Amino acid sequence: MDPKMTAERFAALADAYGAEPHRWPVAERAAAEAFLREQGVAAERILFSARMLDAALDASPAPYPSADLHDRVAALAARAGLRPRPRRPLVKSPLAWASGVGWAAACAAGLLAGVNVTSQLAADAAMDAVLYQAALSGPDDTEVLG
Amino acid sequence: MGAGTADPDEVLVSRAGHGDPAAIQALIARKLPRVLALAQRMLGDRAEAEDVAQEAMLRVWRQAPKWKPGKARFDTWLHRVALNLCYDRLRRTREIAMAEPPDRPDPTPDAVAGLQTAELGRRVEAALQRLPVRQREAIVLCHYQELTNIEAAALMEVSVEALESLLSRGRRGLRTALADVAAEG
Repeated sequence: MDPKMTAERFAALADAYGAEPHRWPVAERAAAEAFLREQGVAAERILFSARMLDAALDASPAPYPSADLHDRVAALAARAGLRPRPRRPLVKSPLAWASGVGWAAACAAGLLAGVNVTSQLAADAAMDAVLYQAALSGPDDTEVLG
Repeated sequence: MGAGTADPDEVLVSRAGHGDPAAIQALIARKLPRVLALAQRMLGDRAEAEDVAQEAMLRVWRQAPKWKPGKARFDTWLHRVALNLCYDRLRRTREIAMAEPPDRPDPTPDAVAGLQTAELGRRVEAALQRLPVRQREAIVLCHYQELTNIEAAALMEVSVEALESLLSRGRRGLRTALADVAAEG
C-alpha cells in the first residue's frame, strides 16, 4: 500500500476510477480514503467532476433479462445435459426392500400392540363386571366370566 | 486465485453441474443479468446482447460439470467468454477503431433542457457506444461490472497502468460528450 497519497495521484485515481472509493484500486484505497478525510473540501473538489460523471453513468440502466430469455437459457441447461439425476424405482433398490420390510415390521408390531391393548381392555371390562357382580351378591362369577 | 479470495460461485457451479434444478435457476438469476448488461453495453444492441448472453450461458452449462475451482474465479471466466463473444460480433459487424479518434462533441448538444433520467441514460449509452471499443470495455468492466482493476486488466490482457490510461481517456471522452449535461447539473 502506498504510505502517502499525493493530490496528483488522488486526482489520477478519480480521473480513472471515479469518485467511489469501492472502485479505487485495493492497494491504494486506504491511502486515498485517508487523503479524502484529511483534505476534506479540497479533496471533494478534486472528486467533483468524477462524481458528476459517475452519476451520469449510473443513469444508464442495466438491461434486465426478459422472461423469454430466462426460459431459453433454462432450456439450454437441459439441452446441455444438466438434468437432475432420476430417482431409481423403489422396487429395484435393495434399500427399498429393506424399507418395505421395516414398514411391514412396524405394521405387525402395531397390530400386535392393538390386539394386546384390545385384550387388555376386554379383560379389564370382564374384571369390572366380576367386581360389580360380587358387589351385588347375585349369581356366581362363572356366569359372568363363562 | 489466491487462498484469501474464495470463489463465491464455486458451490453453485458445482451443484448446477450435477443437475440441481435450484442451483441452475440460482445461477441464471445471478449471472444472466450480469452477462446481458456486459453485452448490451459493449454492443449497444439488445438483440445482439441477448444472443451473446444466451451463448455465454450455454457455455456455462457445458463448463459447469467439469469446472475445476482454484484456477480462476468463475465470474472472471464468464466475463472472458462473454467479451470474446462480443468481440466476435464487433469484428463481424463493424470496424474496430483501435486508434484513438479525436474527441467528438455529442451530436445533440442542444437537447439538454429538462433532461429526464431516461433521456440521460440514453445519452450516456449513446456516448458510451461512440467511445473506442477498448475504452468502452475498460469502463464497462470497472464501472458497471465492478471488477477490480487487476481483474479488468487481466481480462483485457493489458497492464494495470494501461487499463488506467484507457479508463482516464474513456471517462474524459464521456465528460466531453456529456458536457452539456454537466453544465445543466
